[in-house]
Amino acid sequence: MNHKSALAAFAVMLTAPFAVAAQTVNLDPALPDYKQVSGVSGSIKSIGSDTLNNLMTLWAEGFKAMYPNVKIEIEGKGSGTAPPALVAGTAQFGPMSRPMRATEADEFERKFGYKPVAMRTAVDALAVFVHKDNPLQCLSLQQVDAIFSKTRKGGLDKDIKTWGDIGMTGEWAARPISLYGRNSASGTYGYFKEEALANGDYKDSVKEQPGSSAVVQGIASDKFAIGYSGIGYKTADVRAVAISRKTGDTCIEANVDNAYSGDYAIARFMYVYFNKNPNQPLDPARAEFIKFVLSKQGQQGVIKDGYFPVTAPLVRNDLKILGLMM
Amino acid sequence: MPPDSGLALTPTAAPRGASRPTDLLARGEPFLWGLGGALGFGVMMIAGFLLLVLWNGIATFYPRPIHVVTLVNGDVLAGEPTRTESFRPPAAEVAALPPSTQVTVATKLGFADRTLYRTGNFDLYGDDFRWVTDYAIARITTPPDLYLFERLEWGPFIGRIKSVDLAGATFDAGGIPLERLAVAHDEARRRWRQIREIEHDEIGRVNQQIESERLALRKMELGAGAHTPEYTDAAGRTEARVAAMTREYEGLAARAAALKAENARYTIALADIKGREKLLPLAEIMRFYPANDLSIFGKLGVYVSRWGEFLTAEPREANTEGGVFPAIFGTFAMTLLMVIAVAPFGVITALYLREYATQGRLVSVVRISVNNLAGVPSIVYGVFGLGFFAYIVGGTIDEVFFPERLPNPTFGTGGLLWSALTLALLTVPVVIVATEEALAAVPRSVREGSLACGASKWQTIRRIVLPRAMPGIMTGLILAMARGAGEVAPLMLVGVVKLAPELPIDGIFPYIHFERSFMHLGFHIYDVGFQSRNSEAGKPMVFVTTLLLIALVALMNATAIMVRNRLKQKFSGSQF
Repeated sequence: MNHKSALAAFAVMLTAPFAVAAQTVNLDPALPDYKQVSGVSGSIKSIGSDTLNNLMTLWAEGFKAMYPNVKIEIEGKGSGTAPPALVAGTAQFGPMSRPMRATEADEFERKFGYKPVAMRTAVDALAVFVHKDNPLQCLSLQQVDAIFSKTRKGGLDKDIKTWGDIGMTGEWAARPISLYGRNSASGTYGYFKEEALANGDYKDSVKEQPGSSAVVQGIASDKFAIGYSGIGYKTADVRAVAISRKTGDTCIEANVDNAYSGDYAIARFMYVYFNKNPNQPLDPARAEFIKFVLSKQGQQGVIKDGYFPVTAPLVRNDLKILGLMM
Repeated sequence: MPPDSGLALTPTAAPRGASRPTDLLARGEPFLWGLGGALGFGVMMIAGFLLLVLWNGIATFYPRPIHVVTLVNGDVLAGEPTRTESFRPPAAEVAALPPSTQVTVATKLGFADRTLYRTGNFDLYGDDFRWVTDYAIARITTPPDLYLFERLEWGPFIGRIKSVDLAGATFDAGGIPLERLAVAHDEARRRWRQIREIEHDEIGRVNQQIESERLALRKMELGAGAHTPEYTDAAGRTEARVAAMTREYEGLAARAAALKAENARYTIALADIKGREKLLPLAEIMRFYPANDLSIFGKLGVYVSRWGEFLTAEPREANTEGGVFPAIFGTFAMTLLMVIAVAPFGVITALYLREYATQGRLVSVVRISVNNLAGVPSIVYGVFGLGFFAYIVGGTIDEVFFPERLPNPTFGTGGLLWSALTLALLTVPVVIVATEEALAAVPRSVREGSLACGASKWQTIRRIVLPRAMPGIMTGLILAMARGAGEVAPLMLVGVVKLAPELPIDGIFPYIHFERSFMHLGFHIYDVGFQSRNSEAGKPMVFVTTLLLIALVALMNATAIMVRNRLKQKFSGSQF
């Protein structure tokens, strides 16, 4: 669980208090400003997460506006496609909505002799969505596990099949819960399996969707549905349910403060991996792209896509590791 | 064809006025009705689908009014009503309503209506759609001074014009000279397009030249070695040329910067319905219109201008806004390339199978294989294309011809050429089968006549058989084209990407860039429909793009059918 400890560390690093309303998210004012430099050209190709697909595209648009002749191509078919692309050299950047697995990093190391490098580009509160008419307010992580998993490693002894099983009454009591989730190439699928299902198996009745937005649309058109996807995909038709770590604990809303503090149980970083030889500096196009992503301008795109921006201490930390100055 | 078979099954009609009762079943009429019904059902399904796409696609760009909704609790919002639905509010909520409202809900059997408003202003609110229940509304007004601004970033803004700054001349609400604003806006947009032209075309050309200089030098380094006198010589010359190009680049960049500085002097301050302000450069507004104060011609103007943008512009904001021109172009170029690849292969194979090969067991096996090939799932072709074309063939091409670009692959990854070839493989069975049928349909007498006149077999095929089979071959190609243009799954593996504003054909040598990834309308539909952040805003775009894809396929088919008909006419009188 290295990312969980990373998030906790992040909470400690958080110095500036956030004055954030329930809805709008503000940028950390201490984030570096991006300054245009000259002599940047070349091509950038990104292959990886579809959760980060829109974000990468927004960054690409912003970057291209500054450096009109950097050629950019974005491809996003799931986090699982990023490591092979980095190994094969078909992509310079591999966005992933989960940390790279040890086996994937080893594969990379076998070919290049060093590990791939990552930057943390955004924070996402993985939300459990229900239909907007659903009165359900809160679920514990164990209940989520019992709803989605057939192995129930979370520890609940009874399967949850109907809305009545979690104590809902009236017309809801007898209705079966209709499950929506992601396909297995998705990093969201992997992260949810790891964190919410304690690595248990999904039920066979989970309707696997080809995109996070498809999950939300599925729930929007099915009153008795529940599903998970990034908070950025929320629409007016669905509602994010508060999550508590254990049954009886306080319910934590999926909002920016709780994601930053680490209180929200299934918050995660979104990574962009790349190939950096530790003995050589990065080429200008990639170095500038990284600086752009971690700048105020780049993080503005994160808000635009509905996720939460990273903060200045974190950015300083990542840039120091990469040997970049800003 | 169903009508023919239906007719064939109808027995000759019983003589008029015959009194002898005949068994309905024996006359075959129920069967005929069944056939007709099935046909009618099929046609209705297709027509219904087309109508759905057409209606949703056509209505999307028409400007809607902006409602200002004052809620019972005093809250105000402004937005375009997008859709309304009926729902059953929870009992506790109904119980808390005033008695008169409770009665209204009760008369509707416990149901109430709610409307989804597109409020825009995503940067201020954090969301851009909001459901409002009927009984929560105190009143709805449509003030004429509310505008909808389509911005380059953050989606639409709905609100009023607070003040305008036109290069120093400032105007406050109330005294805004709308005509002058419109002129200034047009000019700012023109400058914006100029900046894009400079950045995209001219700087693009310079950068391309610098890159090719660098690659040429690298090639020399790989060939002759880095420490030879030739290399040092070439390096010096390259450096001088690159320095000249860099100066040219700086000149262009300065021109763009001057235009940008000019644009920064024109700003507009907007205020949302609650008075929260937002300052914007005028150039960052695509278009704006007073939604509630628009004549029918004004509305049509907005409608046409939106379609124009959609068809000719590049996508913005992660493909949810702007246009789809790169996708239209990519679809068209890929389909054309596929036809060019599939036509000779399919026709030659069929020609050999039908005219030259000895009809025997082996040929039957080949035919069965070809027919089975048509049933292989398309994604399998995608995997094959990626493995064989991109990795094996492309990888080899890279090593032999483009060693200076490695480790970045040139042909060793998905691209336009590999996509076209993969789809050509996918559609070749269709062409083979259609061509064989067409060849078989050329009358024996025609061939024999030609042979009797002393023509050789090849002369007969080339001058007599092939021209007459041409309409049939064209039919095969049309079917192949329709199948290829609508196929997406294999393309996702061999070259279609979410964003590739670089077109595969442009003004830079060698003009057609077979190795480039491209955008495709089919994939665009999938992307906007299932991947975009705001699925509510994406939905209308899905319909519009679907409409466009159907129209493009229909257009390409119509062209091919026209060519076929012309060929048919040419040979219609020449049958023995």
